[in-house]
Amino acid sequence: MSAVWQVSRAAVRRRRLQTFVIALVVLTSTVALVVALGLLDAASAPFDRTFDQQRGAQLTATFDPAKVTDAQLAQAAARPGVAAVAGPFAQAVLTAPSNTAVQAPGVDAPPPGPITVVGRADPAGPVDRVDLWEGRWVERPGEIVLMRPPGEHYGPNEAVGSRLLLPGAPSLTVVGFASTLSQSAGAWVSPDQMPALHPTASQVLYRFTGSGTADQVRAGLATVTAGLPQGALLGSLSYLTVKQDMTATANAYVPFLLAFGVLGLVVAVLIVANVVSGAVVSGYRHIGVLKSLGFTPNQVVAVYLVMVLAPGVVGAVLGTVLGDLAAQPLLHTVFSGFDYGYFTATLSPWVDVLTLLGMPAVIVLAALVPALRAHRLSAARAISAGSAPRAGRGLRVQRWFGGTRLPRAVSLGLGLPFARPGRSALTLTTLVLGVTTVTLASGLSSSVAAYIEAGNDHVQSVSYVGDAEIGERAPTLADAAIEAKLRSLPGTAQVTAMAPVELHMVGSSQIVRGWFMRGDSAGMSTAMLKGRWASGPGEVVVASSFTAKHGLTVGDHLTLQLAGREQGVTIVGETVTGDADQVEAPWETLTALVPDPGTTRYVNQYWVRLAPGTNVDAYDAALAAAVPGLYPTAHGGGTDSLTVTIVGSTTVLTLLLAAVAALGVFNTVVLNARERRRDLGMLKSIGMTPRQVTLMMVTSMAALGVLGGLLGVPIGLAAHRLVVPAMVAAVGNALPPSMMNVWHAPALALLLLAGVAIAVLGALLPARSAARLTIAEVLRSE
Amino acid sequence: MTTGDSSNAGGTEAGQVVVHLDGVRKEYGESTALDGVSLDIRAGEAVAVMGPSGCGKSTLLNMVAGLDRPTSGRVVVNGEDLASMSETGLALFRRRRIGMIFQFFNLLDDLPALDNVALAAQLTGVSVAQARRRALELLDELGIADRRNVYPAALSGGERQRVSVARALMNRPALLLADEPTGALDSHAGEQVMDLLIDLNQIGQTLLIVTHDQRLATRCASRLVEVADGRVVRQRSLERTA
Ligand SMILES: Nc1ncnc2c1ncn2[C@@H]1O[C@H](COP(=O)(O)OP(=O)(O)OP(=O)(O)O)[C@@H](O)[C@H]1O
Ligand SMILES: [Mg+2]
Repeated sequence: MSAVWQVSRAAVRRRRLQTFVIALVVLTSTVALVVALGLLDAASAPFDRTFDQQRGAQLTATFDPAKVTDAQLAQAAARPGVAAVAGPFAQAVLTAPSNTAVQAPGVDAPPPGPITVVGRADPAGPVDRVDLWEGRWVERPGEIVLMRPPGEHYGPNEAVGSRLLLPGAPSLTVVGFASTLSQSAGAWVSPDQMPALHPTASQVLYRFTGSGTADQVRAGLATVTAGLPQGALLGSLSYLTVKQDMTATANAYVPFLLAFGVLGLVVAVLIVANVVSGAVVSGYRHIGVLKSLGFTPNQVVAVYLVMVLAPGVVGAVLGTVLGDLAAQPLLHTVFSGFDYGYFTATLSPWVDVLTLLGMPAVIVLAALVPALRAHRLSAARAISAGSAPRAGRGLRVQRWFGGTRLPRAVSLGLGLPFARPGRSALTLTTLVLGVTTVTLASGLSSSVAAYIEAGNDHVQSVSYVGDAEIGERAPTLADAAIEAKLRSLPGTAQVTAMAPVELHMVGSSQIVRGWFMRGDSAGMSTAMLKGRWASGPGEVVVASSFTAKHGLTVGDHLTLQLAGREQGVTIVGETVTGDADQVEAPWETLTALVPDPGTTRYVNQYWVRLAPGTNVDAYDAALAAAVPGLYPTAHGGGTDSLTVTIVGSTTVLTLLLAAVAALGVFNTVVLNARERRRDLGMLKSIGMTPRQVTLMMVTSMAALGVLGGLLGVPIGLAAHRLVVPAMVAAVGNALPPSMMNVWHAPALALLLLAGVAIAVLGALLPARSAARLTIAEVLRSE
Repeated sequence: MTTGDSSNAGGTEAGQVVVHLDGVRKEYGESTALDGVSLDIRAGEAVAVMGPSGCGKSTLLNMVAGLDRPTSGRVVVNGEDLASMSETGLALFRRRRIGMIFQFFNLLDDLPALDNVALAAQLTGVSVAQARRRALELLDELGIADRRNVYPAALSGGERQRVSVARALMNRPALLLADEPTGALDSHAGEQVMDLLIDLNQIGQTLLIVTHDQRLATRCASRLVEVADGRVVRQRSLERTA
C-alpha cells in the first residue's frame, strides 16, 4: 500500500461527515443529470433513428390528378435537390361510419372517421419503407393493409383475415398491419384496387439532399411544384410537423429538466470545491507535516484528490444507477400515449458513460484548484500556520460589527463570513442557486397551475350517452329532448351538448377532430390567447398548438370535409390549451356539414355547469334517474398527466436541490467550527453560553442566506421567463402574459426568506454540536 | 540500544561536513529573518541553536531541512546544494536524509502511532509490512510499543514526542532536526526526550537542536550556536553535563 493511498484513506475515514456530504451531493446531482440527459436523448434520437431506418418521407405531397399527370409529377421530382422519390400513388379518403351497428363476427370496425387509403404495390422502396409488422403486403384487389402502431389492434375483431366494410368501397380483407413514421396513409391497397375506390389525389413522397430544416423542406416543396398547373398541389406534410407532434410531450420536459440538471451540477461543483478547499485550508498543518516527511508536492495533491474522488466516484456510480432507475418509468410515462409504440423508451448508454466519466472529471477539476494551492504551499509556512494565528482579513469588519448595538453573539456571527471570504463566497453561491431553484420551481408550478386552470371548463357534471355495444343502455329520448330534460333539472345552470366528429381537413393528409357544441357553449370557452370564442356558423376556435402545427393564424380559412360534404370555416380565436388536431365550433357549423344532424346521434356527451351550492353526487343521481341511458361521471377539471408529472418532478427536484444547498451550508459550518475550535474554547472559557455559540454560528450563515435570497430571487425570475415559454413552445402552445406574471408581493417575500430558511436549516445541527464541544476537548486536540 | 544503526546513516563518516551554510539570508517582505548566517556542522556533532524569540532559529532549521529557500546564500546538506533542487527533489532529499521533531509533534491525527511512524519508510518505497515491522522495533526501543494502535489525540505529550522521534529515525537520517523538542512537555517527559537525544548522539546521530531551554542545550549539545537578530553572534564548545 503506498503512502499516498494510506494517508488519503485515513483522511477519508476521518472526515466521514464531509465524505458523506460529497457522496450525497454528487449522487443527487447525478440522478438529476441522468434523467435530464436521458430525456433529451429519448426526445430526439429515437425518432431520427427510426425515421432514417425507414427512409422516411421528408415531404408528403398530394396532387390533384385532374390537373397534373403522373408523368409531370415524375419529371418535377427528377430535379436537382431531390434525393429520392416514391409515387405517385393514387389516394382516396374513405369514411368509417360513426355508428356501427353491433359488429358481425369477422368484421372489423375501425374507429369512426376518414381513412386515407393509398395504392401501393410494395411496402419497401426508396422512400417510406413501411414496417409490415404482421401478416403480408397486399397482392391483389380485395385486400387491405391497415396502418396501426406496432403490436396494436383497434377493437376486438381486428385481425388478419377480418373484413372491412366501408361506405363507397367493396368489401376488403385485412391481410396485414403496418406502421410508418411518415404517417403517409391510414391503409394501403394494391394499385389495381384504387380505381374502384375513386381516388381523389396522387400522393408523392420525397427525400431531399440535406433537408433537415423547415426552410430546406419548404425549398424542396417549391422545387417539386415549380411549373405545375395552378391548384395542382392539394396539400403537403413536412416530417418536421410529424416529429414535433410525436416528441412534443417529451420535449416539454427537457427545458426544465435541463435547467434543474445544470443547477444541480453547478451546486455539486461548488460544494465539492468548497469541501476540498476547506480540507486544504483546515489541513495546512497536515500538508506541512506531509511535506516535512518528504511527500512531494504531487503526492500532496494526490492525497487531496483521492480524498474527494473516492466519495465522488461512489456518488457518481450510485447516482447513475439510481438515475437509470428513475429515468425508465419517467420515460415510459412521457412517451406512453405519444409514441404509439414507435420508439422504445430506453436510456441510451452514452448518458451513463457521460455521467460516469464527467462527474469524476468535474470533481477533479473542482478539487484541483485548491489542491494546487497545497502543491505550492511552502512547507515552512504550512507547519507554522497550524500554531500561529492567522492574520484575519475580517478583523476590521469584525471590529466594526463589534461596535454596533447588536447582541455580541450576533455581531460576532456577522463578522465570521469575512474571515474566510473564499469559502463564504462559495457558500453564498450555493445559497443563491438554492433560492434560484426554489423561485424557478414555484414560478413553474404557478404557471402550470394557471395553464391547467385555463384548460378547466368549470363543468361539474359530464354525462355520456349509453352505448349498447359495450353493454350500456342507449337512451330512449332524442337528443333535443335530453337537453330539454337536463335544463329542467333543479341545480342545472348551463347545458352544452357536445358532438365529437372526425373530419378531414382539405389539404392535409391528417385527420382533425371537430368538437361541435350546442347550448351554452360560450360559457364553456377556455382561456383565449387571441381572438374570440366562435359563435356563428362557419366559425371555429383552435388551440395555439393547432395554429403552430398547421401554419395558420386567427382570421385564416380552412375547408372541413365530412362524408363528401365540404364547409369552409374561419378561425376566429386561439385558445391557450388544447389539442393540435382539434377544432371547436358551434352547432351551426355541423349543421352545414351534415344534411340533417337530427337523424344521426352525433352528440355523445352533455356537459352541465351546476348552480352554486349544488351537490354534484346528488345531482348526478337525479340525472341518471331522470334520463335513462345517460351515464353521469364526476368531472374534476382538466388535470392531465403531463402537468401532474411536471409539478411532481419539480417539487422533488426542488427539495433535492434545496437539501443539497443546505448540505453546503452544513459543510461550511462544520469547517468553520473545526477551524475555530480554539476560538470557541476561548469564548466559552470567558463565559459564552452554548446557546450564544449556536446563535453566533447560525447568524453567520443566516446573513449569507439573506444575501442569497436577494440575489437568487431575481435570477430565479429570469430563469422562469426562459424555461416556461420554452416548455410551452415545445408542446406547440404559447402563454398569455397573465400566466407568466405569477408573482405577488407576499410570495416574493416568502421566496426571499427561502435563503435564510435553507441557511438556518443547514447550520443548526453543526452549530449546536460546536456549542456542545467541551473546553477540555478543545484544548486536548491541540 | 540498537538505534545506533544510524551511525553510518546517509553514508556520512564522523568528521565529514554534513551541513554547510554560507551567507544565508532570508527575508519575509520587509523583515529579515536571517541576515547572513554561515555555519558548518560535522557528522556526529550535536549542535544547539539558542536565541531570543523571533531571532530566526526556526527559519534556520527550515533552511537546512529544505522546507524553505533562502533569499540568498548557499545551503549544502550532505553534499547536496539545496538551491539547485526542485520542490520534488527537495521532498526526495528530505525523506532520505532528514528527520524532524517539532515542538507540537505534528503527528497525523488520522493515523495510529504505528502507522505514523511507518509512513516515513513507506514513502521511500518500503512495503507496508516491512515498514510496520521497523516502526514497531523503534517504538519498542523508545518504550511505547504498547501504545502502537492508539491515535495521537489519546497519547500523552511525552508519548507523542517519542512517536515523532521514532518517525524521524525511520529512514536512518543523516541529520536529525529538532525545533523545541521539549517545549510542550513537562519536566519529566522533557528529561526522557533529552535522554533519548543524548543516546542517539552517542551512537553517532548528527543533531541540530533549536531550543530556549538552557538545560537541554547543555545536556545534549557538544556545541552551542547563539543567534540574535538573524545573525550568529557566538559559538562555543560545550562540555556535556550529563
Ligand atoms: N512565513 C513567515 N512570514 C513572515 N514572516 C515570518 C515568517 N516566518 C517567520 N517570520 C519572521 O521571521 C522572524 C524569525 O522567525 P522564526 O520563526 O525563525 O523565529 P524563532 O527564532 O524560531 O522564534 P521562536 O523562538 O519564537 O520560535 C520573525 O520575525 C518572524 O516574524
Ligand atoms: Mg521557532
